[in-house]
Amino acid sequence: MGFELSREGLDRVLTELGESYLLYAPVLKVGEGRFTDADVVRYDYVSSVEQIELAHKSDYAFKELLTPLSETLFFFTENECKVADAEARKVIVFLRACDLHAVKRLDQMYLANGPQEDWFYRRVRDRVAFALIGCPESFDNCFCCSMDTNVAPEGWLFSLEQTDDGYRCVVADEQLTEVFAAQAVGEAAFEPAHVSANDTVVRVPESVPVAIYQHSMWDEYTARCIKCGRCTISCPTCTCYTMQDVFYTDNGCVGERRRVGASCMIDGYTNVAGGGQYRRTACERIRFKVLHKVHDFRKRFGYDMCVGCGRCDDICPEYISFAACVNKLADAVDALAAQEVSADE
Amino acid sequence: MTLDVNVKALMKNAFRQSKVRGETASRVRVPGGVINAQSMARVVEIAEEFGNGTIFLTNRQGMEIPGIPLEKVPEVNERLQAIIDDSGVNQEERGKGYPAAGTRNVVGCPGSRLCPFGCYDTTALARRMDKAVFPNNRHVKIAFTGCSNDCAHVALNDFGIIGMTEPQYDPARCIGCEQCVNWCKWRSVGALSVVNGKIVRDEDLCIGCGVCVNYCPTRAWTRSPEHYFRLKIMGRTGKQNPRLAEDWLKWVDEDSIIKIAQNTYAYIDEYIDPGAPGGKEHIGYIVDRTGFDEFVKWALDGVELGPKCERASRVYWGGKRYDRSNELF
Amino acid sequence: MSSHNANPYIPFASQILEIVSHTNREHTFRMAFTGKVKPGQFFEVSIPKYGEAPISVSGIEPGVSVDLTIRNVGRVTGELFASFGVGSTVLLRGPYGNGFDVSLYENGECVVVAGGTGVSPVRGVIEHLAHTTDAADKHVIVGFRSPEDMLFRADLERWAQALDLTVTVDGAPEGYVGNVGLVTKYIPTLELRDPATTTAVVVGPPAMMRFSVMGLLERGLTEDHIWVSQERRMCCGLGKCGHCRIGEKYVCLDGPVFRYDLSKDMID
Repeated sequence: MGFELSREGLDRVLTELGESYLLYAPVLKVGEGRFTDADVVRYDYVSSVEQIELAHKSDYAFKELLTPLSETLFFFTENECKVADAEARKVIVFLRACDLHAVKRLDQMYLANGPQEDWFYRRVRDRVAFALIGCPESFDNCFCCSMDTNVAPEGWLFSLEQTDDGYRCVVADEQLTEVFAAQAVGEAAFEPAHVSANDTVVRVPESVPVAIYQHSMWDEYTARCIKCGRCTISCPTCTCYTMQDVFYTDNGCVGERRRVGASCMIDGYTNVAGGGQYRRTACERIRFKVLHKVHDFRKRFGYDMCVGCGRCDDICPEYISFAACVNKLADAVDALAAQEVSADE
Repeated sequence: MTLDVNVKALMKNAFRQSKVRGETASRVRVPGGVINAQSMARVVEIAEEFGNGTIFLTNRQGMEIPGIPLEKVPEVNERLQAIIDDSGVNQEERGKGYPAAGTRNVVGCPGSRLCPFGCYDTTALARRMDKAVFPNNRHVKIAFTGCSNDCAHVALNDFGIIGMTEPQYDPARCIGCEQCVNWCKWRSVGALSVVNGKIVRDEDLCIGCGVCVNYCPTRAWTRSPEHYFRLKIMGRTGKQNPRLAEDWLKWVDEDSIIKIAQNTYAYIDEYIDPGAPGGKEHIGYIVDRTGFDEFVKWALDGVELGPKCERASRVYWGGKRYDRSNELF
Repeated sequence: MSSHNANPYIPFASQILEIVSHTNREHTFRMAFTGKVKPGQFFEVSIPKYGEAPISVSGIEPGVSVDLTIRNVGRVTGELFASFGVGSTVLLRGPYGNGFDVSLYENGECVVVAGGTGVSPVRGVIEHLAHTTDAADKHVIVGFRSPEDMLFRADLERWAQALDLTVTVDGAPEGYVGNVGLVTKYIPTLELRDPATTTAVVVGPPAMMRFSVMGLLERGLTEDHIWVSQERRMCCGLGKCGHCRIGEKYVCLDGPVFRYDLSKDMID
């Protein structure tokens, strides 16, 4: 059922939800962008709809709640190893259709890659529910339609989008119907808005021949890419982390083990004890990342990792477009196939 | 034609005395180095209609329109009005051009309007400063630059203002990728190090350039809401003792800088060499004469430096003393 | 897929039963361990406040202990060498990875080529082969950088009695009595009766593995009879952290042992 709400009405809904849930949503952080007097949209806890940034795509994805940038796993004392406490309250995460598809990718890695679940991910995942932010229009660099992620999968409690004179919400979770109905100024049957076309169109190759690894299409990136990893940190589907052990006191008695976000683009990712390193050049790292997103993940799990949110393209300081790279890849794969056909003839 | 021109008045009206007898050049003031396209077109029109069709871009971001017959000065002044209105430069009487030329055009690098490294809007602050000190015939040079790269060469000015930001660190957003550490080392002063997987900033060494913020991939580093500045003073070029401006204040605020500049005019009025040719003497020479403490007393009159501000109790300048030796060593 | 309620990140305590010193910087730590484990699998050695390091199993006494042969090259291993002795307790996680299936190699001819610390993961394989009835058909070539870098000297002497063992060093001071040369030098002269059915195990540094496999293929071994063990940065051992991924494979889950024909297109 769809409800129309005023700002005040929606705030009363959020206040009521706030009794059972923390609300985690994209927030415009004024002046916290990279440049002077520049803003950034990233996730934080909110208590009113005014705080939720609905007009822009978030620069950083919601995943920071499920896979924190820095997360303490254990505390060590002299004789003891204690698992770090966690927030116990339930959370509603406000996200878009592509992001909800990304949750499936995160779950895949943390809960279903290998025989054991990630205990810490499971602990937070179990207390997270989702609210869907409708997308009446495509943003810059979005290519969700190419990745078939423009329509949200199931798994959201209610949707939210702004209208000219208020907000409208579709309530999927029947237990919440009363809460919304009580504050609604109107009721109608509608679906959450979703886009059906993007300016950016990406063509994903069906399969990738081994020859692509040595292809010259990657070469340019060694000079262009600065290996900063922003593409992966802003990505809603990147999951890599690195363990970090520290101790606080001079005698080393007290310390912690934490995990921090890691990126296959950043130096140190493949370092092995004794100085070994794989993929030193940026072009190898880009090839590794791009093929993971549109090939390797699919080969393992049956569907593509990339959800087409375009955040990597939004954030790249060197104007390297992932979308353009995938299209180049598709062209290169076609060209290699054509060569093979002509060689056969 | 017989010309009887008050050259002193002409120069104060921002017209240059030309080698070519009977001609002058109009000096267009462009505080902060930004002029809108319409006013640029007006400059072109004046150059084509009254001048020789060329425009000289000055070292201090102004423009000079050469080849103007002296008798056309009143007409040119009328035509300058729209340019003056656009740039917001203070004026005494409309239609009469610029009221002074002693205090030079206030320079600004592109700053945060354009440059990724700029720590503040140099143009806006240059214009604010221009409003605060102009018109004035005292020979004062002020320049604003966005960061410690000092692309505006503020160290050659009486007042050189360098932007600073105080990096704010959120360890919860830090993944220990160490890019800030490396870029600070490569592009700045190497004030960052890693302790227990997180970053420690050497606050004494940090020059507030913001390179760490620029290169942080996670927004663990952000900029302080406050804009801070480094104020370098008494740099100059010249025949006697050219020298770079030296640091006097660090982490100082915008209002204090404006007030200090304004105060300095009163100090100059009090202590300038009454016999200085054309009433023009670099402030630095006056400070050399009165002693630094006297300058400080005047400059800080009524100024409340913020709690973050650090002040050098003494400032020492170097530079070559050509008035003492012209040897090449 | 099974889900465990236990937290797999929490290590268990294991006592050091014995330490065998091979070189100054390479020791074998015999750790109490009663669980199931295979050669080629690895443990995460977890030293709180220093971190974790993946170490492959170099020996197994079922139900009693596992051997971890460790080179002192990093923060974790450095602390282990400095502060842990016999009787100390070390935290471990694991075993992880697939390990070697020794039944694949026990019948018929088999070649094991191992270099440096690469000998550790195959030590259990060689030990098994040394006890087979047709041990004379088992050919083992092990190489070390120099005579000082040699590991498992006592084992080498025993193995020499049981099977066809070639020990070589890359370089040696003048007067050294023994083979000098890369392991690949000894592949062409192996006495193989039927290369097409011979199996092989190759473990060592990347270049050594590449050239050894080439040598074996030239001898007529088939790609699907060769197994290699890949070393990558196995940070979690659980298939979560991503560091050891190559293509669609996770070395910590799908490896570290791979059949050559199935892994030759794995490109970092």
